[in-house]
Amino acid sequence: MADPLDNWEAQIRKGWLEVAILATLWSGRRYGLEIIRALEERSDLVVAEGTVYPVLTRLRNDGLVDAEWEESDSGHPRKYYSLTAAGKRRTLTLAKHSSEFLAKMTALIEPLLKETRR
Amino acid sequence: MTTFDQPLQTRVDAYLMRLRRSLGELPPEEVNEILREIRSHILDRAEASGELTDEKLMRILKELGQPEDIGPLYQAEAMVARARSSFSPLLILRTTIRWAMMSIVGFMTFIVGLFGYGLALGFSGCAVMKPFMWDKVGFWVHSNGFTMGTISAHETARELMGWWIIPFGWTVGPLFVVGTTRFLRWMLRFASRRSPIAAT
Repeated sequence: MADPLDNWEAQIRKGWLEVAILATLWSGRRYGLEIIRALEERSDLVVAEGTVYPVLTRLRNDGLVDAEWEESDSGHPRKYYSLTAAGKRRTLTLAKHSSEFLAKMTALIEPLLKETRR
Repeated sequence: MTTFDQPLQTRVDAYLMRLRRSLGELPPEEVNEILREIRSHILDRAEASGELTDEKLMRILKELGQPEDIGPLYQAEAMVARARSSFSPLLILRTTIRWAMMSIVGFMTFIVGLFGYGLALGFSGCAVMKPFMWDKVGFWVHSNGFTMGTISAHETARELMGWWIIPFGWTVGPLFVVGTTRFLRWMLRFASRRSPIAAT
């Protein structure tokens, strides 16, 4: 039986991963490993790197990102992802919702944390 | 061009082979695309790690995750994508069942879908059976209300449609199939925008 806290964290990660991936593409196109690196630097969302790729596949199926193969200097091709117009709109909407949601959540939790810190 | 020494290459190939197996029955071009991308990931990681040793490669593959965990994620995405762009009631219903097991909305959608297809079957069934059981099949009015289909002969009931039930059944039945399929597709699209339906 999995630890309930582990399960909770896994659910949270799954929910946020899509938003986070879209956010990493906001500034321009990236290939898989670049997206993963950006996520690893700025979040705790990636546990198994391989799980990012199926999400990218879904975003592509949903028409939110485009993907194209390109030869790299190192000799093997890389698959680059970029936001489509629909993807940009979606990213912006998700970012706004996320920000509001996090602000409310923080306001809810903050008093409790302050109290226990004392 | 990045290449691996033979023992390392064997390890990478074994990993990709396990992934290929766990992708199940995805179309070959999708499988190739996935393997190509994961291979590209391994090559990039290997490049960044300096001189590649067996331990380093094992860590790269460990961080990538078990192929048996990743494959089903791809399969789930593919299933939803196919169902959304498909008009096959069977595929759509199968995907909806999957969804039904995961959320209340999915369950309600599944029930509505089952009801819709059930009605379609009922109407078409009446049209098919009328020539064979002309005195039993019909649109009956009786003391308890209406019955579309067969009633036992001894009940006192009046039949309203007569032979018109055949063109009626053949029109309304397919309309229910198309309507239900459209509804389910629409719900699947709606749902997958909110949450990864099938990602477990």
